[in-house]
Amino acid sequence: MSACTRCHFALEAEDLRCALCGLGVPHDDGAATATVRAEILRCTECGAAMAYSAQAGAPACAFCGAVTKLEALADPVDQARWKGPFAVDAATARAALTAWLGSRGFFRPSDLASASTVENLKPVWWPAWLFDARAEVHWTADSNAGAGRSAWAPHAGRCVLDFRRVGVSASRGLSDDECRWLLPGYDLATAVAMEQPGAAEPPGAIVERFDTQRSAARRRIAETIEATAAANVAERFVPGGRSRNVKVSVLVDGLSTERCALPAYVLAYRYRNGVYRVVVHGGDAQRVTGDAPLSWVKIAAVVLGAIALLAVVVAVVAASGGR
Amino acid sequence: MNAAPSSSASETARAVAVECRNCGASMELAASARTAVCPYCALPSVIERPATRDRPRPAYALGFVLSREVARDRVQQWVRSLGFFKPTRLRRASVDDLRAVYLPAYLYSAVARTRFAASIGENYTETETYTVTNDKGETETRTREVTRTEYRPLEGDHATFVADVLVTASKAIDNDELEAAEPFDLRLLRRYEPGLVAGWTAEDPSLTQQQCMALAREEATTKVGASLHAFMPGDSHTGLVHQTALDRESLDLVLVPVWVLALRYAPNAPPLRLLVNGQTGKVAGRAPTDWVRVAIAVIVVLAIVAGIVALATSLSPGSTP
Repeated sequence: MSACTRCHFALEAEDLRCALCGLGVPHDDGAATATVRAEILRCTECGAAMAYSAQAGAPACAFCGAVTKLEALADPVDQARWKGPFAVDAATARAALTAWLGSRGFFRPSDLASASTVENLKPVWWPAWLFDARAEVHWTADSNAGAGRSAWAPHAGRCVLDFRRVGVSASRGLSDDECRWLLPGYDLATAVAMEQPGAAEPPGAIVERFDTQRSAARRRIAETIEATAAANVAERFVPGGRSRNVKVSVLVDGLSTERCALPAYVLAYRYRNGVYRVVVHGGDAQRVTGDAPLSWVKIAAVVLGAIALLAVVVAVVAASGGR
Repeated sequence: MNAAPSSSASETARAVAVECRNCGASMELAASARTAVCPYCALPSVIERPATRDRPRPAYALGFVLSREVARDRVQQWVRSLGFFKPTRLRRASVDDLRAVYLPAYLYSAVARTRFAASIGENYTETETYTVTNDKGETETRTREVTRTEYRPLEGDHATFVADVLVTASKAIDNDELEAAEPFDLRLLRRYEPGLVAGWTAEDPSLTQQQCMALAREEATTKVGASLHAFMPGDSHTGLVHQTALDRESLDLVLVPVWVLALRYAPNAPPLRLLVNGQTGKVAGRAPTDWVRVAIAVIVVLAIVAGIVALATSLSPGSTP
């Protein structure tokens, strides 16, 4: 794998130009000529002269119909190269679900953990891109620092941000919120090549495939870099306590991405008449995210209690004011 | 695919003489021609010349996607959609003489660093006191909320990669015309090889690389300038000025597919040139305005207004019957 000489983006073998900065990838096909010459394309089937056909998108022979294949368009759907190992087994995932259900707080049903039954448990490797990059970020924003008559004052600045192992979900099965919660818990130092069998892979584990073309994947990564940079700038660099209109221009240097399959358990549990989904991290059973029902009886009781309390306070105030 | 050199080919300053390998006919090609078709035996060939600074070998090419029939349909649709103020004869003109050309263009990219200064408007609301005269003729004082803008100066920097700037390298098609036919889908870019252009007309650059670089820099700077407006904070901004320095530039020759048509619609009028994007079918051209129709429309509108005014005057109570 080579790198772009301008922005050091890691190029794939089929890249004609850098997807990030547009710089052409040097190529020498040995076609340079010292004299003027006329080239004739001959059909390898019948020997007739060929011409490019718009319908075929390639040179085609008008006599025998043979089509010459040109270099294939390089916008494939890339698949994962690395997979994270499962450090959590199915029994631990079930136990993690029970513990998670029991810690959902007051507004959940009291018997949520005991009355729920697991209907389905599926180990999956979900797809994600992980990238490293350094970015020179120029930004503008409004903040309350230095504000005059208006509550906002404009600011501009520059910073350099390092992105290490930032994850971008490529999963269609998991929601963005679920992926955001799961991503920080993976230790990719232990990742192995996809072809290599893992130490403790649960039986029936399925690999969710990437279904995004390379160009769209790169666009998504670039958008994530920009969004992450804007969030970083708002949090760390814009002066003052409040900000808005944070805008960034980003010059990325040395972007490298890895396509990974990350382990997780997707569980469906039934509570009374409803079925809910929970995802348990495949490497850290403490990381659990998902849906849980609310106890409307408890919520109604709290609301009624609050109204009653308010009514008592109002009555007391009214009574003391009447004296 | 076989590629064989012709038995003889020589170059002059203006033209290239090529001998057909099939029938032996000698053809003189324009200096900017990259392809040829023998007029006697229809053998297509692709001319390869020693690369020079102003005429490098193309790095990339975009293949034609649209056939002549589809391109003609697009032009006919475009012509039919012209408004009332365009010449009627334009709609009746024949659109048969479409010519396919692989147009030479340069694909430019660079790092753009921009220093900007602007006055940023931040809105705030104020309670304003004002007086009105009520129905009884008395003066009343009232208040209202008004939005005002406080302007603050801001200076800063912006840096970005500018990629996919495409500029013409042909004297025949100017950059505005090419821009009107864009965009091209650059994801379908292929490394140039003779098979992509064989049998079609393909041109070599006729503008110098320096001229094209100047066009590309201008377009890149305009592109950055346009994006700066979205980069400004605040509720509004004014007086935006900027200076852009382009660094680490690259310029690659690419052949782009266009259908060209010179539409002759009147004996005394110059032909209207239309460009059809050979990938997307987008039609670009500036149809002339029929000033006679404009004048007639203005006269009719004025006559109607005058008629209404005259009618209103005659019907008013003070008018004499």
